[in-house]
Amino acid sequence: MKFSSMRYLTKEGFKNVWVNRLMTFASIGVLVACMVLIGLALLVSFNIDLALGNLEKQNVVMVFFNDKNSVIYADENPVSADKLTDDMYLVHNEQEAMAVIAEIEKIENVENNVEYISKEKALEVLKVSVLAGKEQYFEFLDEEGGNPLSDGAKVTLSSMENFEETVDKIAAVKGVDSIQSQAELANTINSIKKGVSVAGTWIIGILLFISLLIVSNTIRVTMYNRKLQISIMKAVGATDAFIRIPFVVEGIIIGIISALLSECLVYFCYRVALDTIMGTLGTSQVVPFGEAAWLLLGIFAAIGVLAGVFGSVIMIGKYLRREGSEFSAL
Amino acid sequence: MDLAFQQTPNPIIEFNGVSKTYNSGTHALSDVNIQINKGEFVFVVGSSGAGKSTFMKLIMREEKANTGTIMVNGFNLTKLRRRNVPLLRRTMGIVFQDFRLIPTMNVFDNVAFAMHVVGASPRTIRKEVSKALSLVGLGHKARSMPNQLSGGEQQRVGLARALVNSPDLIIADEPTGNVDPNMSYEIVSLLSAINQKGTTILMVTHDHNLVRDFHHRVIMLDGGKIVADNAGGME
Repeated sequence: MKFSSMRYLTKEGFKNVWVNRLMTFASIGVLVACMVLIGLALLVSFNIDLALGNLEKQNVVMVFFNDKNSVIYADENPVSADKLTDDMYLVHNEQEAMAVIAEIEKIENVENNVEYISKEKALEVLKVSVLAGKEQYFEFLDEEGGNPLSDGAKVTLSSMENFEETVDKIAAVKGVDSIQSQAELANTINSIKKGVSVAGTWIIGILLFISLLIVSNTIRVTMYNRKLQISIMKAVGATDAFIRIPFVVEGIIIGIISALLSECLVYFCYRVALDTIMGTLGTSQVVPFGEAAWLLLGIFAAIGVLAGVFGSVIMIGKYLRREGSEFSAL
Repeated sequence: MDLAFQQTPNPIIEFNGVSKTYNSGTHALSDVNIQINKGEFVFVVGSSGAGKSTFMKLIMREEKANTGTIMVNGFNLTKLRRRNVPLLRRTMGIVFQDFRLIPTMNVFDNVAFAMHVVGASPRTIRKEVSKALSLVGLGHKARSMPNQLSGGEQQRVGLARALVNSPDLIIADEPTGNVDPNMSYEIVSLLSAINQKGTTILMVTHDHNLVRDFHHRVIMLDGGKIVADNAGGME
């Protein structure tokens, strides 16, 4: 196709946007409505992900080793210190504790920063946090053999997924006596995540379907109005490509305008929503719009342009197969 | 006398044993054999349902014949592929009864549109469109919109569009059907003037007065068959 023809057809596409402005506004309106809903649904989903991610970061499991104190102060069948022998427990010193830690770090979903916490350090923490101000009642803890705590380790899990499975694997490591975890929190987070993901997919899927349906209907009405133009184009010997190009250009323009408008509207709605949420809940842990802006714009542009172009090409195909006399009968 | 009869016969349209039956079972044309030469002016007449529309649709390749062969402007329409139909149509100009002007384009753009389709340069378009509009007497209305024109003027724009690419053949499907008798006479005069320059004109009409006043060849269809073919016109 000649350059002058391409320039003419592109110009026609731009002109059509204005000449058929009623249909243009209708198409943009429908697209913007659907894309704003999709954008807000995505932002809500991003924020839920962020909130759950923050909870996951606090996901620390305390592991206690099978040491001397774990046997002496066991809940079931404790053994008195004078009857205790070395073969009754597995972790006798820090070196052996580090070996257990190395085993734990090999487990999938465990981060490689397992921190060894000796019973002395644990007691110090306890004194500062729980026993502060009541030290005189707990002086016996500092006596020889007075510290009842076990050596342990602070284990961080990479994600809440497979939480119970990971905890079971840690518990099965030789030298581990017990584990203190927030299994309930993990289960709740997991079910929320699954729910959000399923609901999000459905909501976005349904919205996409509705947008395509409405856009294709809008284009169908547009095409119906332009059947005369298509019939004349065919009568004077225009090829199918020649007829399609202005419609495709128009579809791209409508898609881009819709994407930009949707971006602005989503930004505005998000700002209003954030101001309200921050004002009432005082939380600052939200996804800043800037972080999602380009992704949203990309998604909007893709939806807008694809809906515009494919809608035009598919709908016009139906009319291209018709001849002039059939148009007058339509 | 038509220019065609002064020349060696050189067919621009040729029907050989052409029949057309629609899917509905209607027999529109039966065994039609006809030859129209370059430079002729031909009226196609007949009552409703005689087969005139089908005859024109076959020439424009809106329909395909069931049997027989059709040659138009050197194209064998029986073998012409769909993608090559635009090439055939660029060799002819079509004038419709209902004008078919694009309401959102002004007169100039409506005519220029046919030239854009064939990929003409902007300079050629400006020159040729002005020439075509002057020929039909509408040079001063180039910037008017179709709804600002009378029926006769709209039809003349349609005529300018049909002839702007200098086609060898102009097909006019009842071009006077929607205009008053005076304007009808003017339009056929205009077509006759274009014919005098060598363009073949094929015009379908119901208006027997027009056919009688302009002494051109008349093909009469009835029941899908050619029942008369008078080179000297209708008495």
